[in-house]
Amino acid sequence: MAEAAPQVLERWSGGVCPFEAGWRKVMMWTFIITDGLLFAGFLGGYGYARIMSRQWPDQATVFDLRLIALMTFILISSSATMASAVGAAADAGRSVLRWLLLTALGGLLFLGMQAYEWTHLIEAGARLDGNPWGDPLFASYFFLMTGFHGTHVALGVVLLTTVAVRWAKKLTSHEGVELVGLYWHFVDLVWVFIFTLFYLV
Amino acid sequence: MVAKLGSGTRSKLYRTTWLALLALTVVMVLVDSSPIPRGAFLAVLLPAMLVKASLIGANFMHLRSERLPLTVMVIVGLLVTGTLLFVLIAPDAVRIRTMTPYR
Repeated sequence: MAEAAPQVLERWSGGVCPFEAGWRKVMMWTFIITDGLLFAGFLGGYGYARIMSRQWPDQATVFDLRLIALMTFILISSSATMASAVGAAADAGRSVLRWLLLTALGGLLFLGMQAYEWTHLIEAGARLDGNPWGDPLFASYFFLMTGFHGTHVALGVVLLTTVAVRWAKKLTSHEGVELVGLYWHFVDLVWVFIFTLFYLV
Repeated sequence: MVAKLGSGTRSKLYRTTWLALLALTVVMVLVDSSPIPRGAFLAVLLPAMLVKASLIGANFMHLRSERLPLTVMVIVGLLVTGTLLFVLIAPDAVRIRTMTPYR
């Protein structure tokens, strides 16, 4: 068995953090990876059902893509404002609060539009066990994936508000803003995959 | 890692990334509404999706400036595992689709 390179041994022999990042950041990334695998499982199962199905509905006839595109635009923009908040926090700037609240507003707008979309589909007859457009799993996967994602967005809004209040009271540092930023960007990242694989493909 | 970049450089990076993400989204929506063959459709959409994800991960989540072990952990943990998950089950889905229902 070949010996590991000296620098690898030095990094992983103990006494130092091999990732050279604070433990809070490493734990947040670990959470992001495990939560990402949850969504990967959902998307994998959706892909399986979709390929297997002989009557998967055409998304263009079910969804208003202009609404979905607008939701995507809002979430991407909120990710940009979040990045600005993290950058401002690194400079201990005064605009952190503004950027955080703008990000939370973007999240709330997204949730409102998601609720509108759900209402529209439920009124059209979509249920967890069936729908009027084709394969019953279509609506199941829709509600499951967008519901889980929406829950993450809602929790993110709560976290953003909490961090904003703590920042205003000087109870948190730049690291706190960075950690909530990682979570928010992850939520946006998941939407990139859901938007493409469920609404477009 | 965020503090390594100057604030002007950071703002420019975030703005450029935001505009690139929006542009890719517009392209994806336009491609979706255009009558192009399925293969070409997927050839545009799937790479665009991965580019968007990479931009968010690299620039907004600052993976580009993190240490390699952390970046590798994220890429292997998420991208590779997720891809493997789909690649391993997709052949079964195709096979079941072609099977005759049991009577």
